[in-house]
Amino acid sequence: MNYLFDPDNWEWLTTGNNVRFILEGFLINLEIALVSMVFALILGLALALLRLSRVKPVSVLAGGWIDLFRNLPLIFLILYFALGLPSSWKQAWEDAMPSWAPEAFQSGLVLGALLGLVLYNSAVLAEIMRAGILSLPKGQGEAASALGMTYRQSLYHVILPQGLRRMVPATVSQLITLNKDTTLVSIIAITEVMRRARIVTASNFFTVVEAPILHVFIFVGLLFVIVNFSLSRLSRRLELRERARTGTKLKPARSLEDQVIVD
Amino acid sequence: MLDVLTDHWSEFSSGFWVTVRIVVVSFGIAMVVGTLVAALRIAPVKWLQRIGGVYVEIFRNIPLLVLLFISYAGLRRADVNINAWVAGTGSLGLYTAAYVAEALRSGVFSVGKGQIEASLSLGFSYAETLRRIVLPQAFRTVISPLGSLTIAMIKNSAIIGVSLLALPDLLKQARIVQARTFQTDETFFWAAVGYLILTGTVTLIIRNLERRFAIRR
Repeated sequence: MNYLFDPDNWEWLTTGNNVRFILEGFLINLEIALVSMVFALILGLALALLRLSRVKPVSVLAGGWIDLFRNLPLIFLILYFALGLPSSWKQAWEDAMPSWAPEAFQSGLVLGALLGLVLYNSAVLAEIMRAGILSLPKGQGEAASALGMTYRQSLYHVILPQGLRRMVPATVSQLITLNKDTTLVSIIAITEVMRRARIVTASNFFTVVEAPILHVFIFVGLLFVIVNFSLSRLSRRLELRERARTGTKLKPARSLEDQVIVD
Repeated sequence: MLDVLTDHWSEFSSGFWVTVRIVVVSFGIAMVVGTLVAALRIAPVKWLQRIGGVYVEIFRNIPLLVLLFISYAGLRRADVNINAWVAGTGSLGLYTAAYVAEALRSGVFSVGKGQIEASLSLGFSYAETLRRIVLPQAFRTVISPLGSLTIAMIKNSAIIGVSLLALPDLLKQARIVQARTFQTDETFFWAAVGYLILTGTVTLIIRNLERRFAIRR
């Protein structure tokens, strides 16, 4: 305890560029999370629609794809894409990246990380969206078709607008998980917050002001807790508002960490 | 395809069982700590609730990898002699405990308020009400969220092996085989089969339990 609260061990916070260096790394994590989220939402919606397709083989195939990527560890996918992608792809990525893109995205390594994050999260989000759509009362679809709408029309004008509204809180929760998961890309040598925190501990090792691993990573953990806690508050507010508006409760989608919290 | 598996069977199978052991031990920790935290969160004392709440918010919002760094590298530098197994299963267990606590808590709230009031007015104490009326019913509603958490735990256990703790679990072993053979696709294919066997088994068990006990509210 003395070790933890000894002010000498916290002095690194005020010396040098340590805090700024770590915060910049944290920004990279948030960027990666945001970019992956956008792509995962697009792919997830496509997967959810395929999964709900009335053509049996299509829905079975989409279901298999979703279950496959949802049931594999994310770090497994990231490692696989980092090791298994042909280097020509990574080269192509580096060539294609415009110079105004954030620095972290310039490296070909990030391609593997993004692929893993997007494939995993799109499968999870597809399940969230499906749960949102299925939670609509059956009468909605029936009424639409009674009004003479085709399946496609009822989907675009009746089902999706309501179903997608219901998945907003769950999506924000998933963003929390995604935020945490971005730390995994440090394992394939992208210098985000985890790597930078290690650099801070290592570079201060022989200097007067020591930056102990324990303290540096408690600081990093706090950064995540602050951002994710705000997100979870937001998710809760959205959920309560949605429930007050529609008087319904979202069915928990399976195999999601954050979906457990629905009360 | 098959020869990668047969040539490196001992690596794959030992990795598989290390993963199983990590998950089983962490699950035990998560259930015990999760139940305690849930008990704090529904305790009739305000400051106990607050402690439970702080635990949940911290462990739910911090990345597992950060926990592993704190509990292993961090504590070792502070001269606490902690080994990789304790740090790994402890971190995964404490991390998942926050989710377990939330699942149990919402299970408890799913039991009608009238039942609790009825039991209290019948002269049961708070503890008795919890033990005899609320928990037996709550447990049936939390089967499926606990199942989801177990699957999430299997997936999260892979982080322990490739992080600095380097426990020889399935993913770590696959990485070793990959580095030795350069047959990336084949190696990862068989590791994926291993993970899908684990998550698939848990899914089947949960589905079975649900059919037998679960009540949907």
